[in-house]
Amino acid sequence: MDESKENDSPQLRPGLWATVNERYPGSMITKSDFVPLAKLKKPLSESRLTFVSTAGVQPKGSLPFDTVHPVGDYTFRRVPADSKTEDLEIHQLKYPTVGADKDLNVIFPIERLQELAKEKIIGELAPNFFSFIGYNMNPEMLEEKLAEDIAEAVKVEGSDIALLAPA
Amino acid sequence: MSLQYLKEAVSNDDTEKLIRYVRLHFGDGSEAAGKKEIDKAWIEALKLLLDVPATKREFILQTLAENDAATLAHLFFHLHFYFVERSGEWIHDGRV
Repeated sequence: MDESKENDSPQLRPGLWATVNERYPGSMITKSDFVPLAKLKKPLSESRLTFVSTAGVQPKGSLPFDTVHPVGDYTFRRVPADSKTEDLEIHQLKYPTVGADKDLNVIFPIERLQELAKEKIIGELAPNFFSFIGYNMNPEMLEEKLAEDIAEAVKVEGSDIALLAPA
Repeated sequence: MSLQYLKEAVSNDDTEKLIRYVRLHFGDGSEAAGKKEIDKAWIEALKLLLDVPATKREFILQTLAENDAATLAHLFFHLHFYFVERSGEWIHDGRV
């Protein structure tokens, strides 16, 4: 990112991007196989939807995400889809939460999804949404443990759609 | 892979690369900020002991004796953030 443009942002500290490649050398997952997106088998208005987020959102009182571990946290939290935003909190260190502290929906749009389900634009919400933190320095564990664990949990709840949103 | 990058640094005894990683982690991408954060945590810890208050030394010794090194290393990272937060000067975007 251009340094001058970065400095225009009130949410990013100067120099943040200067070392990103050094902090995360080779941490991107590369795929040699093309994995096509699964096609929706029924209309959105008849589908069960879950939400998967890297925002570090979790129910108050649940074990906080491990934000201090130098290699990351490979666990996830279930967030009941009918949760109220005041019953949720964020534990993470790597993105600004100024906006989310005022309105959680900017990073974890739970009320918007509840509204869409109520209006029957979405058929229904799955019992739980899923949340984890994006600071994970071991791509193999991220892919082979965390992603697999979440995929299994999503599958068990019979979702037709998983809405994925990075923080 | 990033983890491999760090493990290679351990194998090569590349301490500069390792401490730079720690500083970048603590400084959210700024090595200078991370160095200051490490100093800040130690200064905060030192200040707390200057008046020689009573401390639970048995607890400390028991904790060290009864836990594995990885758990203690994890605790070390927790303590860093604890003292940084306690200093009142929090540079991070989020919270622990």
